[in-house]
Amino acid sequence: MIFFYPKLVDSYFLHLTIATFLAMILASSWDILARTGQVSVGQAGLFGIGAYTSALLYQWIHLHPILGILAGAIVAVIAAVGIGYLTLRLRGIYFSITTIAFAEALAVIWLMIPDITGGAMGVSTPPLFGGNRELAYYLVLAILVLVIFVVWLIEKSRLNFAFTAIRENEDVANVMGINPTRYKVLAFMISAFFTGLAGGFYSHYNTYIIPYEVFSLNVSIACLVMPIFGGLYTILGPIIGTILIKAIEEYLRVTFSYGHQIAYGLILVVVVLFMPDGLIGLWKKRILPLFSKKEIGEG
Amino acid sequence: MNDKILLQVNGLSKHFGGLAAVQNVSFNIRQGEIVSLIGPNGAGKTTVFNLLSGVYHPDSGSILLDGDDLTGKRPFEVCQKGIGRTFQIMQPFPHMTVLENIVTSSLFGRVPKISMRQAEKEAVELCKLVGLGDKQNTFPRNLTTPGQKRIEIARALAVKPKLLLLDEVMSGLTPTETIEAIKLVRHLRDKGTTIFLIEHVMKVVMGISDRVFVVHHGEKIAEGTCAEVANDPKVIKAYLGEHIEDSEESTC
Repeated sequence: MIFFYPKLVDSYFLHLTIATFLAMILASSWDILARTGQVSVGQAGLFGIGAYTSALLYQWIHLHPILGILAGAIVAVIAAVGIGYLTLRLRGIYFSITTIAFAEALAVIWLMIPDITGGAMGVSTPPLFGGNRELAYYLVLAILVLVIFVVWLIEKSRLNFAFTAIRENEDVANVMGINPTRYKVLAFMISAFFTGLAGGFYSHYNTYIIPYEVFSLNVSIACLVMPIFGGLYTILGPIIGTILIKAIEEYLRVTFSYGHQIAYGLILVVVVLFMPDGLIGLWKKRILPLFSKKEIGEG
Repeated sequence: MNDKILLQVNGLSKHFGGLAAVQNVSFNIRQGEIVSLIGPNGAGKTTVFNLLSGVYHPDSGSILLDGDDLTGKRPFEVCQKGIGRTFQIMQPFPHMTVLENIVTSSLFGRVPKISMRQAEKEAVELCKLVGLGDKQNTFPRNLTTPGQKRIEIARALAVKPKLLLLDEVMSGLTPTETIEAIKLVRHLRDKGTTIFLIEHVMKVVMGISDRVFVVHHGEKIAEGTCAEVANDPKVIKAYLGEHIEDSEESTC
């Protein structure tokens, strides 16, 4: 069904689906880093690096978009290593603040060197696959499947133990033989890779990027609202959170401009206060018990 | 017990601002010994442990474990070199089951690294060893204080330490639980682990220690067998104060 999807829906819906898949990739990759207890509010920095790397490489040397997207991801990983080793020794809020500064600084730098970056005018690229949305759909689907597969691998491997231990108590994890900085940087690198891929895809799919947009705080906030809403540290959480938020966003976009940003804020407040484990947690704690009780009662 | 020196600490000092928490402390621990570190509250016992496990870096002095220089190494490096420790205040990972808590330690504290399957197997054995065999899949919050202490011990043991640091694992236990814990410590020693413990319960110290170190105001003031230390006037002074009339009651 997921493979024949493009044949079944109209172009508008296909576009919406691609945007949703892109957001899922961002949400899932944010969640990978969150598993180590680090809250990045600067994913836009990595997203923008991915977007600009592939767009500029196309502009300069006409690098094939697929290779450009990959190059964008690699540059994002390199940036993450640099930022990571500098800042991931910091904990909690200090890391978060640094990531905001990173994304904002990039936006400013981009505007300061317009000869290289195109400045406020941005960079244009020809439509991805000559504007063939179906192919774009398959590409973004492939990236999404890859990120979900990687998250699944992490959950099955020793990394899951390291990430969880660091999140729950970094000092104790350290005494138990886990190098916290190393694993946090590793998580940040994986997160950056997929965020960079998403950025690269976005630049070619959208055909046009400007610093205000790709480096904006909105992107960073979107990356974290969706997994928090859906449920942290799970495979399904970011996916479900993204679907619902994208649906709300699309509805509000046509009825109430900037309404989706208000919705982000409200969702964050409500989720943090009343359902810290997100929708997945709500399902497990409140909904499932209702059914199981019924079964016991009937049995 | 043999005479091989496992841990060699020389002139260890640590200051916090103007406070000398540990001053010029030196001692040796031999392979297979059970050694207790005692002293009044605030004497610097836990600081010594934090220095040994790399949580703090010493201002001066050196730490040698089995020929490896551990001075200034970070906690995870110290752990991988063979020092396992428990914390005075129990700190299990709350959202991991008992078994997962221990598996984490097995996975990362060991050199060379072991497979997930191997780690799980060892963790199951450790659970049985410390008496948590039937609690493997519960969460730490559902365990009593002694139960949580057992997790701490199992996690420290999971790294297969040459030297095990136990920070007040017996405090807060009932007499029966204490006897169990003493048995466990003896059992561990018999299996070849050298043990260095901080303890307030004197009955425990006197019952299991081969030797005792006494610290006071960050300095080591005495060292010897239980009897030697208990009759040392400096130790009695540290515990009971200057003007003592009934020193015979002693610290034990």
